Amino acid sequence: MGATPLMSLGMRAMAANYAALQVTGHNIANASVPGYSRQRVELATALGQFSGSGYFGKGSDVETITRMHNAFMTREAMTVKGLAAKDDARLQQLQKLETVFPTGEQGLGHTTLQFLNAFSDLASLPSDSSARQVVLARAQELAARFSDAGAQVDQMQHLLREDLRTTVATVNELTSNIATVNQQIAAVRGLGQPPNDLLDARDQLLSALSAEISVTTVMADDGTVGVFAGGGQRLVLGNDAQPLAVINSVGDPSRASVAVMDNGMALRLDEATLGGGRIAGLLQFQNKDLVDAQLLLGQMAAAVGGAVNAQQRLGLTMHQPAGSVPAQDMFNLGAPRALPLASNLKDVTGNPIGRVNLTITQPAELQASEYDMRADPSYPGRWQITRLSDGLVRSVADGDEIDGFRVDLGNPSPAAADKFLLQPVSRAAVDMSARLIDPQDVAAASPLTAVMGNGNTGTAAVASLVMTDATANAQHTASISFTNASGAYSWELRDRMTNALVSSGTGTWTPGDPIPSAPDPAINGFALQLSGVPANGDTVTVAMTTNTNANNGNALAMATLRDQRLVGQVRLLDGSTTGGATATDAYASAMADIGVRVQGAEAISSISSSLAVQAEQARSAESGVNLDEEAAMLIQYQQSYQAAAKVLQIAQSIFDTLLSAAGA
Amino acid sequence: MSMRIATLNSFERGLTTLQRRQSDMANMQEQLTSGKRVARASDDPAAAARAERAMAAQMRSTADQRALDASRSAMLQAESALGDAGELLLQTRDLMLSAGNASYTDAERRNIGDAIRGLREQLLAVANRGDGAGSYLFGGQGSARPPFSDAPGGVAFEGDGGSTMSANAQPLPLTVDGGTTWLQARDPATGAATLSVFDLLDRVVTELRTPGRSNDQITQGVQTGVAELDAVSDHLQSTRARVGETLNRTDSVEVRLSQQALMAAADRSAAEDLDMVQAVSDFQNQQTGYDAALRAYSMVQRLSLFDYIGG
Repeated sequence: MGATPLMSLGMRAMAANYAALQVTGHNIANASVPGYSRQRVELATALGQFSGSGYFGKGSDVETITRMHNAFMTREAMTVKGLAAKDDARLQQLQKLETVFPTGEQGLGHTTLQFLNAFSDLASLPSDSSARQVVLARAQELAARFSDAGAQVDQMQHLLREDLRTTVATVNELTSNIATVNQQIAAVRGLGQPPNDLLDARDQLLSALSAEISVTTVMADDGTVGVFAGGGQRLVLGNDAQPLAVINSVGDPSRASVAVMDNGMALRLDEATLGGGRIAGLLQFQNKDLVDAQLLLGQMAAAVGGAVNAQQRLGLTMHQPAGSVPAQDMFNLGAPRALPLASNLKDVTGNPIGRVNLTITQPAELQASEYDMRADPSYPGRWQITRLSDGLVRSVADGDEIDGFRVDLGNPSPAAADKFLLQPVSRAAVDMSARLIDPQDVAAASPLTAVMGNGNTGTAAVASLVMTDATANAQHTASISFTNASGAYSWELRDRMTNALVSSGTGTWTPGDPIPSAPDPAINGFALQLSGVPANGDTVTVAMTTNTNANNGNALAMATLRDQRLVGQVRLLDGSTTGGATATDAYASAMADIGVRVQGAEAISSISSSLAVQAEQARSAESGVNLDEEAAMLIQYQQSYQAAAKVLQIAQSIFDTLLSAAGA
Repeated sequence: MSMRIATLNSFERGLTTLQRRQSDMANMQEQLTSGKRVARASDDPAAAARAERAMAAQMRSTADQRALDASRSAMLQAESALGDAGELLLQTRDLMLSAGNASYTDAERRNIGDAIRGLREQLLAVANRGDGAGSYLFGGQGSARPPFSDAPGGVAFEGDGGSTMSANAQPLPLTVDGGTTWLQARDPATGAATLSVFDLLDRVVTELRTPGRSNDQITQGVQTGVAELDAVSDHLQSTRARVGETLNRTDSVEVRLSQQALMAAADRSAAEDLDMVQAVSDFQNQQTGYDAALRAYSMVQRLSLFDYIGG
């Protein structure tokens, strides 16, 4: 037996250990590369050489280089990372949104109350023009605050679309890279060895992709991976990537949707099927949180502004002679909208034909919601309106009123297949402005004044007289006489010039309730509050105010708006209203609503990000490089290499011995 | 088997933890600087809403207090005006009694009549006194001009009856009903509330200025006049007493208002203010924790097998 097998064995061992050192070096070099999977040399014992005295081992061979990789853990880490990215994206947006609803002195509740309190001061000094000036200044401030808050929401919507565009561009970059790597992997497939670093690169691309949009992957036989999003829309197949695009939302075109572009056709991705990823977080925020914030602001603006406008119109300005300049609205409010859906019937220029008009009728009954309107399938000619906040479905005909607004079919009226997104309050806040600049325009005076009769014997006095209805006629004088000691009264309404009887009736006064109170009939559009108790035979006259300069009746009525539940009342079937919140409470609960969302999003985001950390830890425990381990490997393979070199040296020396023995 | 630790992951996790501790400390620092536990609604939505309502109650108390001050100022002025009126009526009464002196000549009685007319003019000025803010103390529910003016047939009240009320939860008067105060004293002869202080004085002046009255007529005139004057005085006095009562009520309303304001402030503070002692102690805890985390991180990350491999 010669020295040659030993020499070749030593050389083989040296080569194997050198390869192991090389891989270790590669691992060390890539220790800080995200997504790198550590690699290992798979050594195998070379098949022995048979001889008469048995098999002689021939050393070891490098069989292959594998990457330490667990497909399940990689996918798990990817999915969880996507969820964390989604929750984080929504949280970031919500935290920005929260600044639209600040607490305390910076809040809209404070500004609203300050405005209404200005009427309390005006009531103390009805003829003082500086008190009126304060009312106007506060009105301007209130309108500015509402429109600022609305504009902030609009701005967030705008930035969110930009953000989506950037994210979509990132996604398109990633998918096209995945397609390229797919192609490279397929190309080297024939070589029989796994292209570890390419596989790592693709896993890393997929991980980055699922942070933006949640995807499912399917391995193909040729080693490429198919990538699908949103319930099966193809993003990558083989070496072909389909780009995403940001498109307008179906209802409100200012809102964004994401679609897969398939040969120029935009296939909208349903937000509900998106799962994780930044895009899903942004869309969820847009469609739920941002819309709700806009609606809460709009509802408050429409309710407060509407109530103030209505009361203002019931009063008298300071202009002389009284009533010569009718009271104007104090605020302009953004008009309600009925947006035709993109699928509606259009004329040749591409404009939708059918129209629907909305009119606010009862500002206090407006709800913080949008509505879907489409033909009622059960009753041809009627329309089905779904309140999107809670899914309540109602069937309406042309001109019906629901939730404080009236729905009129326009001219031309909509086709049966047309659909609309109704936004009664969405623009109310952002387009709010104060209209009045002349202090005299503030309607502090009431057109009617109540005076107790001279000969009254009871203790009753006028506590307040509030105009409640635009039908009140100042030319009519109401005389109310109490007909017993327990509050029963009869009344007559007569023309103040001709004394002709207009109407008459009876009613009953209950302490604490105004005259008249339901079910007693209205007298002349007023509500009279008494303090004390009237005696039998006592009288009250409600007649035209003669001195409008010094009268504060309407300012008092404005001040009572502070305690009225004027936001979000609900009309019951019997026509009465229930619920509702004062302006202050409405703001407090809107603010708390957004606060709760932020708090919830913080909790969810903290959970999902710690899950992501754990999943990444589990993945990297399998795949990541541990430098101490590699150091140990270095020592191990270095020693093996040295030993193999020794084998080679001995083989050499044996060979030399042999040569010298042979006398060479 | 224990878990493998990937070096990169261990660095990253360590950093994340440190950053979280740092951000917790920054939050606590923000709270300590502002003194507020609830800076935004998400810090504690329920407390933020409660603080918001308490703030509204506070603002409401302030507005109510301003309205109350307006009422009090007007009522104090009305009270002092009614006091002045009482003085003037007392002087008038003295003059009227002296006019009953049988030795006085027509000319002397006329002089007394002129003096009473002067007092009557002063009384009219008192009835028309402004509140210094564009309204009239006795303007009732509104009067654009001075509410009393000389008119054919005597002084008339041109305001609307009743009182202008403030916007308080319990309305307080901002004016006194001039008509009932000055023009509707109870007539001692008929018992009807129709006696006007100005008409009365006008009649007295006319009577005194009428020459050639007999002693009986003079005595009769003075007696009737003084009786009526006393009725008017009583009436003004009782109005003054009612104004005083209103002022008392104002005081008790004010006490309630300041209690409400105090409660609202306490409510708000309880909802959103920081418990400083607790916060400082928590902050120190966090500091200690952060310090330990930093040390541990730098010590653990410094360990490496490479340091032990002889080069």
